[in-house]
Order: sequence, then C-alpha cells, then structure tokens
Amino acid sequence: MATVDEVADITLETPGKRAPLVTGGLTFSSITEIVAGVPEQEKPPLAWYIGFSVSVAAMGMLFALIGYLVFTGVGVWGNNVPVYWGWPIVNFVFWVGIGHAGTLISAILCIFRQNWRTSINRFAEAMTIFAVCCAGIFPAVHIGRVWVFYWLFPYPSLYLNMWPNFRSPLLWDVFAVSTYATVSILFWYMGMIPDLATLRDRTKSRVHQIGYSIAALGWTGSARQWSRYEKAYILLAALAAPLVLSVHTIVSFDFAVSQLPGWHTTIFPPYFVAGAVFSGFGMVLTLIVPAREWFGLKDLVTTRHLENICKILLATGSMVGYAYAMEFFMAWYSGVPNEQFTFLNRAFGPYYWAYWTMVTCNVVVPQIFWFKKCRTTPWIMFVASIFVNIGMWFERFVITVTSLSRDFLPSSWGYFEPTWVDIGMFVGSFGLFFTLFLLFLRFMPMVAMAEVKSVMPHGEHDPIAEADHV
Amino acid sequence: MKSDSQKNYWRSLDELENTPEFEQFLHREFPVAASEFPEGVSRRRWMQLMGASLSLGAGVVGCDFPKALRFPEETIAPFAVRPENRVPGKTEKFASTLEIAGSVRPVVVTSYDGRPIKVDGNAEHPEGQGSDQYIQATVLEVYDPDRLRGLTEFKGEEHFDRSWDEFEISWKNVAEELGAGGKLAVLTQGSASPSYQDSLQKLRQRFPQAKVYQYDSITRDSEAAGVQAAFGQSVTPKYHLDKADVIVVIDEDFFGMHPTGQRNSKEFAVRRAPEEGEMNRLYVVESQFTTAGLAADHRIAVPATRIASFVADLEARMAGGEVAEPAEDADRHEKFIIALVDDLKKHQGKAVIAVGPRQPAEVQAAVWKLNQQIGAIGATVELIDAALPTSGEVGTLEELTTQLNGGSIDTVIVISGNPGYDAPANVPFSDAFKKAKRRLFFGYYNNETSVDADWVLPEAHGLESWGDYVAADGSYCLAQPLIETIFHGLSKTEFVALLAGAEEKDGRTIVRRVAKDRVGYATESVWKKMVHDGFAGGVAGKTQSVQLADNIAALTAEKGAWKQRPAKDEVELVLTPGTSTYDGRFANNCWLQELPDTLTKLTWDNALLVNPTTAEALGLKQGILATITSGGASIDAPVYLMPGLALGTISLALGYGRTHAGKVGGEVAIGIDPVGVDVGKLRRSDAMSVVTGVQVKSTGKSYLLATTQDHHSIDKIGLAEIARRIPTLVREGTVEEFKHHPDFAQHVVHHPPLESLWTEASYDGHAWGMSIDLSKCLGCNACVVACQAENNVPIVGKEQVSKGREMHWLRIDRYFAGDPEDPVAVTQPVTCHHCENAPCEQVCPVAATVHSDEGLNDMIYNRCIGTRYCGNNCPYKVRRFNFLDYRASDYRFEESNRQLAELVFNPEVTVRNRGVMEKCTYCVQRIQNTKIDARRDRRAIGANEIKTACQEACSTSAIQFGDLNNPENNASKNHKNPRAYAMLAELNIKPRTKYLARIRNPHPWLADPFVELEHIPGHEGHVETDGEHAHDHEHADHEEHAPAKTESKAAQ
Repeated sequence: MATVDEVADITLETPGKRAPLVTGGLTFSSITEIVAGVPEQEKPPLAWYIGFSVSVAAMGMLFALIGYLVFTGVGVWGNNVPVYWGWPIVNFVFWVGIGHAGTLISAILCIFRQNWRTSINRFAEAMTIFAVCCAGIFPAVHIGRVWVFYWLFPYPSLYLNMWPNFRSPLLWDVFAVSTYATVSILFWYMGMIPDLATLRDRTKSRVHQIGYSIAALGWTGSARQWSRYEKAYILLAALAAPLVLSVHTIVSFDFAVSQLPGWHTTIFPPYFVAGAVFSGFGMVLTLIVPAREWFGLKDLVTTRHLENICKILLATGSMVGYAYAMEFFMAWYSGVPNEQFTFLNRAFGPYYWAYWTMVTCNVVVPQIFWFKKCRTTPWIMFVASIFVNIGMWFERFVITVTSLSRDFLPSSWGYFEPTWVDIGMFVGSFGLFFTLFLLFLRFMPMVAMAEVKSVMPHGEHDPIAEADHV
Repeated sequence: MKSDSQKNYWRSLDELENTPEFEQFLHREFPVAASEFPEGVSRRRWMQLMGASLSLGAGVVGCDFPKALRFPEETIAPFAVRPENRVPGKTEKFASTLEIAGSVRPVVVTSYDGRPIKVDGNAEHPEGQGSDQYIQATVLEVYDPDRLRGLTEFKGEEHFDRSWDEFEISWKNVAEELGAGGKLAVLTQGSASPSYQDSLQKLRQRFPQAKVYQYDSITRDSEAAGVQAAFGQSVTPKYHLDKADVIVVIDEDFFGMHPTGQRNSKEFAVRRAPEEGEMNRLYVVESQFTTAGLAADHRIAVPATRIASFVADLEARMAGGEVAEPAEDADRHEKFIIALVDDLKKHQGKAVIAVGPRQPAEVQAAVWKLNQQIGAIGATVELIDAALPTSGEVGTLEELTTQLNGGSIDTVIVISGNPGYDAPANVPFSDAFKKAKRRLFFGYYNNETSVDADWVLPEAHGLESWGDYVAADGSYCLAQPLIETIFHGLSKTEFVALLAGAEEKDGRTIVRRVAKDRVGYATESVWKKMVHDGFAGGVAGKTQSVQLADNIAALTAEKGAWKQRPAKDEVELVLTPGTSTYDGRFANNCWLQELPDTLTKLTWDNALLVNPTTAEALGLKQGILATITSGGASIDAPVYLMPGLALGTISLALGYGRTHAGKVGGEVAIGIDPVGVDVGKLRRSDAMSVVTGVQVKSTGKSYLLATTQDHHSIDKIGLAEIARRIPTLVREGTVEEFKHHPDFAQHVVHHPPLESLWTEASYDGHAWGMSIDLSKCLGCNACVVACQAENNVPIVGKEQVSKGREMHWLRIDRYFAGDPEDPVAVTQPVTCHHCENAPCEQVCPVAATVHSDEGLNDMIYNRCIGTRYCGNNCPYKVRRFNFLDYRASDYRFEESNRQLAELVFNPEVTVRNRGVMEKCTYCVQRIQNTKIDARRDRRAIGANEIKTACQEACSTSAIQFGDLNNPENNASKNHKNPRAYAMLAELNIKPRTKYLARIRNPHPWLADPFVELEHIPGHEGHVETDGEHAHDHEHADHEEHAPAKTESKAAQ
C-alpha cells in the first residue's frame, strides 16, 4: 500500500500533473481509522451534545408548530390574498435547492470522472437527503386540508373515483420530488454499503454490530460483489443524473407554468437548476468547513476540494446573476407592461430590501472567489457560504412573494408579513436538518472510505504521476 | 331568555355559581332563598341544581324554540299533514314590507322550510327596485343570538324572567296608578306605519294626559321644513329622474340614504347607456364623497357650511341672462357653475335639483325656488301628498329630558330607539331617564338605553310580524310574518295596543282593520291579494298642485365663498349616517360591519375622513389617532385620508362606538370592545350633522384600520403603475368618443393574436355569462351583501380583514384618478369571471376546480385540498380561501346559539370547510333550480329567467346574467354591445363576464377629466394585432403607436 507525500501547494494546477486528492501521508488503513473512528468513539465530543440538543429542541418546535397548524389552519401563517403562498413554499424551494448538491456531486461528477468528489460525496448526499426531508414537510403541511394530502398521488380510489389533474405542475412536483428523494436515498445507501460493512467488522459493540450488519446487507467485499456493486452504482448514477436537472426544473414549473408576471418565464428551469447547485454547494461548504476541522478530515477534504467548491460557487453564482439580469432584459424586451412593472417593483418596490439582499448575497459575494486567497481560506469561504444560504432563501422569497403581492389588479395588491409561526417553522426546519445530520455524523461513515481509497495511488512510487491514470 | 346570551362566560363550576342564571334558577325554585346561598337546601339538592343549570346550557334551550324552527329535532318524518303548497326543501317567496333605516321598503322574502333566508326588493312596487345593504343584511338579525329573548324585569340588583301575561298584570296596576296618565311619557321613533300610529292614538285615548315624544338620530326634518317654507304646505317630493336631462345633486346621498334612493338609482341609470338614447348629465356639489359623486359627470367638493353660498351664487346666475363659454384659464369652480347654469337654462322642464337634509330649511327653500324656475316642478319632480300617518302632536327629546329632570314624569316608555346612545351631548337623556320611577324599554336588542330600564321587553323582527307602511310615494304597503316570533317578541303596533289596553291585540287584526280604513278594501279576496302583492294596488300619493310661497327669504350667504379655499383653522365636522351602521341600529350586524364602505373600503370601524390636503394642513396622517375637540368635548378617532372630501371638511360616520350593542358591535360589560368611535359627544341638538368650529390635532398614536383595498400604503412606483393600469381595467369614454367610435373600449389594450395550447371546448347548449355595465354601477354595495346572504359567505372579523383574508365572493374595486384634492372615482364589481380558459383549473393538482359543459368554472369543495395554487394563478384574485375555520369562528356563540345563527344559511349552498378554496359560482344553485323547473315543465328556460343574487339586488340593473347562446338574453345582448370589453382579455383566458365601458357625459365646455388618461393605456408599442377582433390585421399597420382617438377617426 502506497502513501502520498505532502505536496506544498495542492491547489496549484501544474499542467501534466495533478495534485493528489488525499494528503497528509494517509494510507488506506489510516483513512479507515480516521473515518470509522468518528462513529466508533465511545462518546461524541461535548460540542456534538450541545449541537444535538439545540437541534432537537428546534425540531421539537417544528413538530409542535405543525400540530398547532393542523389543529388551527393555515391561517396561523401570514399567507393572505393575494400572497396565497408564503414562507412555506419559500422554505420548500430553499430546501429542495440545497438538496441538489448531493446528487450532483455523486452522480454527475461520478459520470464525468471527477475523482475529487469522493471525499465529499457521502457528506453531500446525506445533506441532500436531510434537506429533501425538510423540503418535503412544507408542501405537505402547507395545504389547507393536511389530512387528505395523499389525494395528490394517483392511486386508485373509490372515494375520489378519478385521477389527479395531470396538467398541474404541482402534481409533476409530487412526482419529481418523490422520485428524487427515492433515488437519492437509494444512491446514498448503496454507496454506503461497503463502508457500513467496514464499520460492522470493526465495531466492538454488540448492538452496533447487529445494526451495521443489517444495514450492510451481508457485504463481504468479494470481487463478484464489487463487480456487481460498481455496475449498479454507475447505473444509479446515470439514473440520478437527469433527476438532478429534472427536479428543480419541475419545481421551477410550479412558477413558470402559471401566468403570474414574475413567474411566467421560460428562463426559470436553467435558472432554478443553477440556483439550486449554487445553494447546494453553499450549504456543503457551510457544513464541511467546520466538519473537517472538528473531525480531523483536513487531509481527506483538502484545500483543493474546498477550492473546487468555491469555483463552482463562483460559476453558478454568476449564472444566477446572469439570470437576474436576463429577467430584467426579457421584461423590457417583451414589451409586456405588467411584466416590466413586476421587475421594477422587485427592485424598487416595497420589497426592495429583499431583492438587494438577494443580489448582494448571490451575485456580489461569490465574486470574491476570483481571488485565490478567498478560495483557499476556510473562514472566508465559510462566511461567504452563509451569505449564499441567506441569499438563496431570499431569492425564493423574492420570486414567490413579490410577484404575488402585486399582480394584475391593483385593487388586490397586498403585502405579506410573516407571523411567529412562519419564523418558528423555518427555524424548526433547521432543527430537523441538523438533528438528522448530527445523527449521521455520529453513526455513519461520513466519508466514502472505499471510494476515496479507489482514487488513491496504490503500489506505485510516483503518486503524482500515477494520479493521472486513476 | 336573557340568560342564554351569557352562557358562554361560564368557564368553570366556580364561576357558574355566581351566574345570574343560577340565581334565577334559585328564584324560580326557591323564592324564599332568593339571592343568597340556598340555606336549608341539602347538599344533595344543591348538586342537583348545579347539574340542572349546567344542562340548561346544553339541552333545555333547544326546547325553547318555537315550532317553526325545527332544527333541534333530528326527525326525518315528513309533516303528518303537509301545509298547503308547501313542498319540503323548496323555497317560497312572500311579499312583505320593511321599515328599515328610516325608509319604507317593499320587499320579497325568500323562505326555506318556514324560515326567511333572503330579502330582496319587490320589483312589482315602484319603490321596491333593487335593494340596499340594510335590506340584504336584515335577515341576519332575525337569527342574531344577541337579540332580546324574553321579558325581563329588574328589581334593584336582581332580575326576573317574565312572560307577557305577567307584564300585562303588572302594567294593569301601573295603568290604574297612572289614571289619566299625566305622568306617562312615550318616546318613539318616527314611523310611517298607520297601524302603529293607530295604536299610539289608542294609547293617547286611554291616557289623555300622556305625552308622546319622538326622536330619531338621523332625520330629514330640514327637508320637510324646506318644503313647508317653499310651498306653505306639507308635501313630499317625488323625483322622476328618467325624465331629467340634467340632474343636480347638492350635498345629498341621493342614490343611497335618500328614502327613494333605489328608485332614484334606477331612474338615473336608465339614462346612462348611450346606445339606448340621450344620456342625462349629473352635476354633484357635495362635502362628502357619495355614490352620487362617484356617478357624476361633474363633481365639485364644497364644505357643507358653504353649500348655501353655492346655492346663492347659482340663484344669482340663474337670474342673469345667457352665459358664455368660460375662459380656458377660468378656475375649476367658475367653469363648473357656468356650465351648470348653461345646462339648466337650456333644459327648461328637463332638469332637477335635489338638496340633502344636512342643509338648512332656507337652502332647501331656495332650491325649490330654483326648481320652480327651471320648470322642474310637475315635470321632473312631483310634489305629492304621501299621507303619512300620525298619531298627533309629538314632543322632542329635549322636552322629554326637561320633563324628566323636572320630575313631572314618572313612567317613561322607550319604544325601539336608543337615545341613551344617540342623544346629542346637550341633551343628557340617560341621566334624566334614570330619574323616572318606571322605565320601560321595548326594543329588538339590549342597548345603552335598555341598561337603565326596569322592564326590558322584546320586539319582534319585521319579518316576524304583521304591519303596514306608507311608502315614500304614498302607496300603502303590507307586511306579513314569515316566521313565528322566535323569542316571544311583539310588534310595536301590538305592544302599544297592549299598553293601550285595546280590544284588538293581535297584529293581523289591527292591520286588517287599519287597512280597511285606509284603502277601503273589505273583501277577503282583496285582502288576500294585498297580502300577496305586499301593497295595495292603485293607492299612491296624489300629486298636489303647489304654489311657491312669495315670502321665501333670499339666501344671505356670500356668493363667492364656496369657491374659496377655507382657512387653515376653519374646520367643519360632518356627521354622516354610517353606511354599515346607519345610526347605530345595525351595529350588531356582522355582515354590515364587515361590508367595505364604497369609497373608503373600510370595515369594522368608522374613521375621521380628511382630504389629504386638509390633513397636511392639520398635521394628520393616515392611520393615526386624532383628537377632535368641539364645545369642550373631545374624542379620538383614527384618520383616513379620503381624496375628494371638501377642503376644510372632516367627516365621521354615526352609529359606531356602541358599548352595549352585542357581541359583534361591542359589549363593554363583558370585555368586547366597541367597534369604532362614538361621535355623540360632539353632537348638539342644533348641530346634529354639521359641527363647526372644530379643532383637530394628531395624537401621534397609530391605529389599525382594516380595509379591503390598499391594505398598505402604496409607494410611488406602485401609484404610477396603478395610474397606468386603471384605464385598461376600467375603460371609460365620453359620449362624444362613443358616438365617433362606439367600440373604443375594445381598443384600449393591444396584444398579439391569442392562441390556445389545446383545442378549446365549444359550448353548444347553455353558455352562462355575465355583463356588468360600469356606466350604471354606483358602487352601492347591495350586491356584495346579497351575495353574502345567498352564498353563506362567512365573516372573518377585523383582524383577518386587515390581513387581507376577507371572504366576499363579490367585491367592488374602487379606484381614484386625477388630483387627490378633487379626484374622480370609479367602481367596478369583480366576481369570478368563469374564464373559458380558466387559469385556476389548469394548475389544481386534484382537479377540484373544473369546467362544466355550460362554461361554469365549478368549485368542488369536497375535493379541494387547499394548495391555493388556483388563487395564485387567478388574475382577478377572486378566489377566497378558508385560512381558518370561519364557519365556527363565531366562538362568541355557544353551540345552541350557533345553531340559531346557522338558521340564516341558504341550504342550497354548501357551507365551506376550513382549508378549502371558494369563489363566486354565478349562483349555480339558482341555475340548477331553474333548469329543473324548466325540465319538469317541459319548456325552455326563459331568456332572462335566471337571476343571480347580485343581479337581483342591483337597483340599476348594471349586472345582467344569462345564457350567452340565447340572443334574447340581456347579458348576451350586452356582450355584443360595442361598449363591451373583457378585462385582462390579453391573457387569453376568455372570461365569461364582460364589462360595458363607462360613459361620461360631460358638458362640452368642461374638459373631460379622462382625456389625459385615455391616452395612457395600452399603447406601449409592439402592437401586432388586436386578437379580440376579426379585423385585426387590417388594423395592424396604422394601429401601431396610434392613440385611440386618431385611430378611431381613421376607422371612420
């Protein structure tokens, strides 16, 4: 088994040579030690307990508020006429967007053989699934009669005696999000099987052993299993790749297919996908910068990884910025006065603060990543990633609320004000997200050990030259 | 039972011990142990009592309802003997008459299984055209749990439930004591009921020394005085606006509060469709903004105290010779009056001037003189002898108060009024009332007067009792009960007959006798016909030949004053009848409280209306509390900036700030805040509607006003956009424009050809559609309440309205244009447009809103899961969502009370669940009923047979509905009218509701305020074709960037 020597600057791109993906002289066994060591700890660090209790408390608030909501009605939110959709839908799109990065990293980067993805894909996929969980809650409880949410699904029912309306984008949304959630979970779980087997083999606790055994599905690591596994994995990746594009495209249809000025625009699918990748990577960055610090993963998730993420943020942030500009251009070019007003109103109307927050966070802030210093300094990128998260929430707020608040008839114009329940549920959704995420960190291998090992040089003396052939 | 209404304050058994109920229960069971803890009662018996009084709340109340109310019985058995002509589940209509808000209104009441659920105007009667908000909402009061439920006698701190028999015995003793009744006073409200006046006469006969006093918070006394001064006799004007080419309305709510407001509206609107003949021209001079001002061709705002100056000026100019066209740079006022004089002179015998009751008798008389001069009398206005009934001389409230204070009265009977609340500040009635030894109150609700009475007696609702009334045109109208009195009430007539100890105590007997005297009808068949029709045919006030008195004093007001801007500190406060509350009597009616005022769109409050310019001068801002001081008294009221109010005029509506109105209007004793502000402290008997010398200053405190439009203040961008959009939404033109280019309204918005994504359905059977003529809509609000009553539309309360969650299926959009100091306003009723390409239908994931094969956009409530996507995609924003459980949101009510309140529901319309979307259905239940009837009778549906609730309520016939495939149908004809346009048609949604453009008829000398706006809309370029017309492509070339007018000439 070979090791990789430290390279002075792994972010330096030398033509003909590639920087190693794993640094710090890590070996196959030391990677296992590091990664498996986290769930194998007797007790997690105090910080975990603190974080976990805060998250669980927030999650408890979320469910308590959902209970209140179900018993009282959606009037507990600030939604009104004309803003029939308020924060819940904003939060839904926000979380779905975040849930984008995971599958993108695993599936698309896998197909394109972007081997650097291996250190972060498990992490990102977990994030995806938990974000989709958060996202799924909002549309479900958002409807007026929560107790019949299942009418959205096309199931043979004697009571309804009909299919749902297949022309409705909301129905497409149901399919898109549920498919995405299913495939993401499958993909994540399948990718984790070899690592779960590793944990199973290493653990000394009987309880853990049983748990991991069940989860590992009898993985032995035989060549035959590996062969099947690799095929299945690449097939799932191929299946998941279009979903990455489809899910947010269809989420964007919720808006684009309507005829509301500010929603009814063909730019939405690519714009939403870019925005989703942007927000997803933003969240990956928010999570991974502290995680690699706390769990000693700096050699696995190297500066190069972070730099790549920053580059993606810069690219997608600029795409989003282009989309913002293009919306204005199209509004002007279309000559439709209502459309023109909507955009003027966004930037200079009563919600101008939301619009400019969005532009600052999503377009201006990522521009710092033109500078290498910013791409390689963790605290800077962490701060920037927080801005990205905020900005992307505001993007959805701007799209949903400002468009609705002033549509065709001025007599029906309104203004949306959130209630404490709106705020509580949004905060609570972070509680749910972090609860799940902290549980994942505690019990699951957070880095895909097997995959990382597969992209490490083995049996060669010149790791850098070798890396090119991997 | 008074106790019922208090039941919901029981929180626990501990509290229960102290309830009056329980004490009452003890009184009844153990008179000896009356007001203390039941000594000598075993603990076991105590527990039984507790149990019994608890169950009182749950069940016994149910038994209390009369037979006609069948709700507590869960029987499915049919009538053993079915009443004649009664088909269970089928509605029946009965003609009746209501005396409501100061006027007599012939009505038709819809009854369902023995309970009235809807009231509309009786179109057979000339005064029964359409309806107004009060008529539409009155049915809610029949089932108001707060209404008086029985007789209560108060003795010190205790009170006892009594029956009418008990009262009669008690009254007999009192009557004996009173003897000839010198110490008896009766305070009543003005009433045009001959039977009631007859009973009062009987009472006077029994107690010859007794005195009858009359007090109304809102009167038209100055009108009567003006007529008296002008003609030396008491006659009633009867306007014929359909014969008038020029109508001048001076400081008068001519189409609203006027006793013949609905007939005025109808006759005015008949001449507002340019294709049907020559249009009339309406000039309005007013201090307030009324529906007349809204409909006016020319309106000018003048403070109420300067109206006299205007009339004097007009008089002087009319006395002069012909007038010449004013100079281009003449001021607005000058131009206005010159054009007006010109019109009046040119339309001799075809013009009329009306002046409102706020103006003093001398102004009224001067206007009659002018009417004589322009040949109006006998042509456009008749003076008739309405033969209003009277019981003899009546005293005033001041006199009564003085008498009471002097101690010369020991028994006072208040009959359905509320002077304890609405007496002017200089008449301390409440204090005086308390000094009387016996205080009887007879009324519909507990109120600020009844709290001081020692007998509180329940009045029956107009729909529960026999009655007769003389309508404004002098015709004799009958009222018949639609339901047995729910809570032991008597009609006023019956009550006074009882007091008088008359032989005839039954309302029907009295009315029948009076009717016979009145119209000379005797036979049963004639009586039956009269009851059936609701009025006596052929009986109407005779036209009087009148002679103008020659001693009419000339107006002394300075002629130029009305044109000048008032000084900064010269502020007059005008007190207007509340459009929702009138004088406060409707304060507990939640439909009315939540009804947005036509101009302010304000609900659940009265506000201090101030012109923005005046507000700036006074340092007032929208939504802050201002202190208004006059004569040492002051009140705080929230400010609402109202464009179009006269400068220097501030205005407040009467009828708010009730402290004992009920659980809707405010009941301070149980912690329910009053709605709005009581202005009583600023009123004096010599200044009942206009208070001068008022100081106003801001307190700086803010106040939440719940409006249904402009929920929040609009920024500059928004305002500019609204100004751009209004002309495309509410399309207007002048008669001239219409003559040159009748379909100008269809060329306001241009768009590319409209193509649908899919094959569109064709409608070969029925195709339901609606048309709304904006030229005729006055924004009177009757349709809004009618829709609410018909379709069980819930109320949501002030807080929800302020959040923008009002539920009205039909709303009236109101837009202002022009200078805020002197704007024009337009109204536009908006309901679901039933688009053929309905955007809402495409986006509903569960197909809860779908199209019928007759083109209705149907809402399937039980399939709706409440995604609200349809609402987002509806460009008209007419969809209403049940954000909370508004059905049960009457948390104020106990279960039994809620059951009572639910009796008002129309059983043909589903009551919607929480979490469900709802909207206008085009009254689909009415369509279905007619279809069923037609099919059963094997006939075709009549061309105009189906009427929606809003259409039926509309006095001006602005709303038409029917089968667009039937060429005979009015809506179908209107859709082909060149004025017809579809709002937002450019979205290719193909709405089934079309508006007819509003046409104004300005004097040629006066610049049309809309000319400038006319050029703003829709010509932003990129005009390809006009997709609404076949001749699109011919227009394509020269239409580009061409303003409508040039284009119209080119087309000619």
